[in-house]
Amino acid sequence: MSKIEINHLTVDYTEKKKSFTALKDVSFSIEEGEFVSVIGSSGCGKSTLLSILEGINTPTDGEILINGEKIKGTGTDRGVVFQHYSLFPWMTARKNVAFGIKQVNHSASRSERYKIADEFLDKVGLEQFKNKYPSQLSGGMQQRVAIARALAMDTDILLMDEPFGAIDAKNRTILQELLLELWESATPRKTVVFVTHDIDEAILLSDKIVMMTANPGRVYRELKVPFDRPRNRSELVQTKEYNQFRNNLLLLFYSDIADKIGGEEVVL
Amino acid sequence: MNIPADTIPSVKADRKIKINSELKTEFLKRYFRVVHGLFAVLILIQFLPDKLTTDTYTSYVIWFAVGVEVITIIFSALIKKIGSLNLFTDIVAFIYGFLILWTLATAKFNLLKAALFPPPGKVFWQFVDDYDKILVNIQSSVGIILQGYLLALIIAIPLGLFLGWNARLGSSATYISKFLGAIPPIVYIPYGIALLPTFKSVSVFVIFLATFWPVLSGTMSGVMNVEKKTIDSAKVLNVGKFTMMFSVILPASLQQIFIGCNQGLTVSFVLLTSAEMIGAQSGLGYYIKNYSDFGDYTRTIVGLIVVGIVIVIISFVGTHRYIVVEIT
Repeated sequence: MSKIEINHLTVDYTEKKKSFTALKDVSFSIEEGEFVSVIGSSGCGKSTLLSILEGINTPTDGEILINGEKIKGTGTDRGVVFQHYSLFPWMTARKNVAFGIKQVNHSASRSERYKIADEFLDKVGLEQFKNKYPSQLSGGMQQRVAIARALAMDTDILLMDEPFGAIDAKNRTILQELLLELWESATPRKTVVFVTHDIDEAILLSDKIVMMTANPGRVYRELKVPFDRPRNRSELVQTKEYNQFRNNLLLLFYSDIADKIGGEEVVL
Repeated sequence: MNIPADTIPSVKADRKIKINSELKTEFLKRYFRVVHGLFAVLILIQFLPDKLTTDTYTSYVIWFAVGVEVITIIFSALIKKIGSLNLFTDIVAFIYGFLILWTLATAKFNLLKAALFPPPGKVFWQFVDDYDKILVNIQSSVGIILQGYLLALIIAIPLGLFLGWNARLGSSATYISKFLGAIPPIVYIPYGIALLPTFKSVSVFVIFLATFWPVLSGTMSGVMNVEKKTIDSAKVLNVGKFTMMFSVILPASLQQIFIGCNQGLTVSFVLLTSAEMIGAQSGLGYYIKNYSDFGDYTRTIVGLIVVGIVIVIISFVGTHRYIVVEIT
């Protein structure tokens, strides 16, 4: 049994009497401890898919099973990191993390929660910013806090919706490596669903890449990422295998777009 | 490099003179101002012979002016920014100028009707003389405000949270509160007098209404305008209903709630003083109305000034409070 099973998921939106199919018959599964990236151009429904996994949206048809059970709404088994910094502006970094811990661990006392929060803020390199409010932190730092909160909640599953999408290139690289390191060093490893439109990010982080296509949103290809862990970006990008894999992925990506504009399929 | 020995001390001395002259201009900028000239004029004209035959209490004006001048000098030393200092001394200069004209028009040349326009000294004297009476009336007014205001907050905030969170109820409630809030609370007074036993309870009721509607609409619009991403991020943390309401929705809409609270507080005092002029036996509105009925316009002016001061203090406290919400 897979950790997450997505079965024939269909989502229709109705807006101003016009119905629009965001997802059509999407099915794939994710194993326990697997890092899966969902990539695709904008409008392919990857964020809609994640919002259903989060439990914020409900599908029109189909279902998602976690550990064989159908999900209904949000749950304490899933931690979430959004693209747009989802911290509460009236709480300090430490409080934001502690607030998350409180929701999954009601028995922990305040000092215990703070202790766990501090531990995870240390891990993401924010020792000196624990008592700062989100408005006093840069976008990258806020996203570090959000990651610390998701990790500190210690959920089996981590859902990340373009978490580094709004961060400048240099900090994005640093955060990708931080995430990779934290995820690879944890035992047991968490199951991660990571939505992105950045191909390099997807290759560096994932075990499996699910490529989606738009109008209507559906799964285009599923690919295993054949690189050993622990991974090191600077070594990885120099290998022939990496570049070959990346080129294949890019061709797939563009052939999908070529399909859309009526071109012929690129034969690989 | 070879520097001639005798040039070094001269450079140093130059610099010293330069620093000294800078300090001097800085000092002059700070302490040599028009406001102090006006102070001197104000003091000097007090020693002109009085034309007014009744007592003008000249010494009270002098004491007041000296007090203000001392404060001005202290502030001149304390306020760092020249811009803020300018603002402060300009205000003081305005007060001095006003007092000079007032003194000349009343005590010194008797240009105005003495019964309607008392000299400044008399107003200051009255202020000191009536000190305890004024305090009792402030206490009475503020007491009523606190009762009506707090009662309104206790009911309006939770109700607003509840109505705002229920999308359907909230949208109808917005229109209803717009209608009811549009009725000036003061027009409820005649009906209130018929309904309620004492005039004091009527006043509390009016304050309650004056505060209730702005706070209710503020809270509702605050809740309805909480960003979706804030609610979503709370949802995915799997928060309970109670936590959602009081640890997420409430702090997220606090800004708007405060706007409603401040609006209510200022309006409350304005209303109360008006209401007190209708039928109360105490309070600042009563103080003004009562003495103007007796033709005691010195006390009427004193009352007006006190009302001004109290409202300024209240709205200052209202806009400058800093509340850190500690909800975990």
